[in-house]
Amino acid sequence: MSVAAPGPALLTLEAVTKRFGGLTAVRDVSVEVRRGDLLGIIGPNGAGKTTLFNVISGYYRPDAGRIVFEGRDVGGRAPHLICRLGLTRTFQIVKPFGNLSVLDNVMIGALTRLPSVAAARAEAGRVIETCGLASHVAARARTLPIGLRKRLEVARALATRPRLLLLDEVMAGLNPTELTGIMDLIRRLHADGLTLIVIEHIMAAMMRLAQRIVVLHHGEKIAEGRPDEITRDRRVVDAYLGEEFVLAEA
Amino acid sequence: MDPARRLGPAQIDVFLQLGVSTVLLGGIYALIAVGLTLIFGIMRVVNFAHGEFLMLGMYLAFWSYTVLSLDPYFVLFIAIPLFFGIGLLTYVLVMRGVIHASHNVQIFTTVGLSTALQNLALVLWTGDFHTVRPWHALTPIRLAGTAFNLSQVVAFLIAIALTVLLFAFMRWTHTGRVMRATAQDREAAILMGIDTDRVYRITFALGIAAVGAAGVLVSPLYAVYPTAGLQFVLISYVVVVLGGLGDMVGALIGSLIVAAVEVAGSYWFGTAWKEIFYFLLFIAVLVFRPAGLFGQRGAENLGV
Amino acid sequence: MAQALARHWGALVIFGVAALVPVVVRDAYFLDSLVLILLWGALSAAWNVAGGYAGQVSIGHAAFFGIGAYSAALLGTRWHQSPWLGMLAGVLVSLAAGAALGYLSNRLKGPYFALSTIAFSQVLLIVASRWRGLTSGSEGIPVPFRPGFGTLGLGHVAWVYLALAVAVLYWGIQVWLEHSRFGYRLAGVREDEDAAEALGIPTRRLKVIAVTLSAALTSMCGTLWAQYVGFVDPFYVFSVDLSVRFALNAIIGGIGTALGPFLGSILITSLETYLRATLSGVKSGFTGIYLIVYGTGLILVVRFIPDGLAGLVGRLRAHLARVHA
Repeated sequence: MSVAAPGPALLTLEAVTKRFGGLTAVRDVSVEVRRGDLLGIIGPNGAGKTTLFNVISGYYRPDAGRIVFEGRDVGGRAPHLICRLGLTRTFQIVKPFGNLSVLDNVMIGALTRLPSVAAARAEAGRVIETCGLASHVAARARTLPIGLRKRLEVARALATRPRLLLLDEVMAGLNPTELTGIMDLIRRLHADGLTLIVIEHIMAAMMRLAQRIVVLHHGEKIAEGRPDEITRDRRVVDAYLGEEFVLAEA
Repeated sequence: MDPARRLGPAQIDVFLQLGVSTVLLGGIYALIAVGLTLIFGIMRVVNFAHGEFLMLGMYLAFWSYTVLSLDPYFVLFIAIPLFFGIGLLTYVLVMRGVIHASHNVQIFTTVGLSTALQNLALVLWTGDFHTVRPWHALTPIRLAGTAFNLSQVVAFLIAIALTVLLFAFMRWTHTGRVMRATAQDREAAILMGIDTDRVYRITFALGIAAVGAAGVLVSPLYAVYPTAGLQFVLISYVVVVLGGLGDMVGALIGSLIVAAVEVAGSYWFGTAWKEIFYFLLFIAVLVFRPAGLFGQRGAENLGV
Repeated sequence: MAQALARHWGALVIFGVAALVPVVVRDAYFLDSLVLILLWGALSAAWNVAGGYAGQVSIGHAAFFGIGAYSAALLGTRWHQSPWLGMLAGVLVSLAAGAALGYLSNRLKGPYFALSTIAFSQVLLIVASRWRGLTSGSEGIPVPFRPGFGTLGLGHVAWVYLALAVAVLYWGIQVWLEHSRFGYRLAGVREDEDAAEALGIPTRRLKVIAVTLSAALTSMCGTLWAQYVGFVDPFYVFSVDLSVRFALNAIIGGIGTALGPFLGSILITSLETYLRATLSGVKSGFTGIYLIVYGTGLILVVRFIPDGLAGLVGRLRAHLARVHA
């Protein structure tokens, strides 16, 4: 499934912890992501997946632990700085720039790296092509159905030329055709050399996509390994108790 | 400590006077603010026109007194249901359409309403300053070295009574509970089958009834003119922000604090500058504790 | 070049007509209205930079207007300096005040921010109207008329062209916002701050820059207005009504568009002039009715025509394009 042997560590999470008052949303999570990886993070709702993303991408400051991206400690840095360093994330509930066109949306992403509007427009055009949004270039983002909004979310993030892309439940709410489409897109991006961390709730999709999966439950990492190892793991099955059908699909 | 500044009878009198003035003023601010915090807390709408309903209450008292020789306290009984009705009407005509709109739309809708109402008063009744001077406004009361007039006391007592009534309504009636539930989580309320439109109707109507009643109560104490509402609405916003969105008890305490700041400020620096103190207080609160003294950090972003 | 002209045909028409009016019309009253239309338009354009393009809605912009007006008036009457110097002083103070407000915009959302802007302008109003030593207090400051460009003592025709130059400049700044890297990123901030932040945009910094720019532009026009009208009244120049007016023109004309503020100004100022002429006999009738109309207008526009006049024109053009296709 992997295209090339995994490279040096790109992102290292060391015992990352995040608390909200009395609730520990993420507890002691350590993960290593190497260049060229396609890492999946799964877990029941409330497991702390999005919180982890928020901590990695700078929206929350970690209460303990370190987040090292390309050798730099980025814990607690502002999100826009982390993006400039090469780490971009998408949002679980998509946040398109509703009143702007698809092209403008992606252009704004491209402007992070490019100084001129013309260059950004050209770049945006290419990214839109890659993500299969070419026929909707002029549409106002607000008018797009959810499947296309998710693609836009990915395209916009892609335009910032990340070295590590964090996708937060990009497959939720899609019908089977859209699902296949976006999985193809993710595979293509990965094959082109992009390192990805993907949060998903749909096990079946994750099994076919990720090389390595981390399982979170109540904020803790309870398992890590290849998809086939994960589905056999006792603790994972227990965590998903009542959701066996999700596992069975895999 | 400088012996001349030690607390002697004269200083105690001053403090007592300031204290009494604060409490009397605080009660009135509480009535105004309580309606606003309800609207703000439950509907998540900033009603920039709140002061104009106060002004209309004042005019109601003025015209009733001048034309019909009715005492404001009598007019109060008419004012409350009347303003409840006005609140309902305003909700249906203006507010309902923008409840789910963006903040900017809400802001400009109520700002437009404020401008329209102020100038309606201007056109109908001219910009002349009027006063309402029933007998009790001229009746001084001296108690333990402090002085105030009967109007202030009655206004205070009635304001507190109405506020307590409102509080009891919110706490112990079914409708009140439903309103509080909607304030906490609009979506959950809808899912539970709560008729949110009805909740908003009642909330707005109650809020306007409260501020209209406050207008009648303060008419013997302040001059009546079309822009009279402006200074009160800004004070009530300070109170509401200080006390925390939607927190009625907070509004009560906030009223006392703001009244204290105003009374103390005007005593030490003169009445000309008193307004600046609560504005500075306002800005300070917004900068350092926008959720209010009693609110949770970040609460100011709820629903915003 | 031809394409750009075609795209901005509206501006071309409006500013072109304005430029030609003094050639044809000599009536002082008419020219006066034109100057006011252009100045109000520019002021709304300045507000639009923060309120429309950056999404930071302020109802306290009169603060900067007043600062500009007072700077020129004070420097002119007390220290006999040129109003241009006063303008510069006003801009500097407004930059500082604008930065402070920008800081607040990062801490406060939506209505809270709007409230803080009101409080801000009211503090200035109280200071200006009470501090007799500095500002002659509530009496205000009359601005003396000394003929010449350096003292901005100009005739009506000159004022038209000066106001027009300012209007075109402010229009141009907005157009720049629509086409520049800064402007695009600002649009992202306006649409969704969190998403913009995730895309590498320093949202806090951009908001402060936008608000500060808006403040400086407002202040400049405040100075011009004070010199034109000849009197600075604290209760007017710092009033909430005035702040609302800046926003009103922009909203009715089309918030977040370059021409919107000017379209709104044309409509509103013309309405005001018409009503003033028709109702001049009635004492408070004029002011009142005009403001009732604009208050109601605000409610209706914001609810039913959120894109304003510019939006209507845009939709009309699109409709015509479809019909003719």
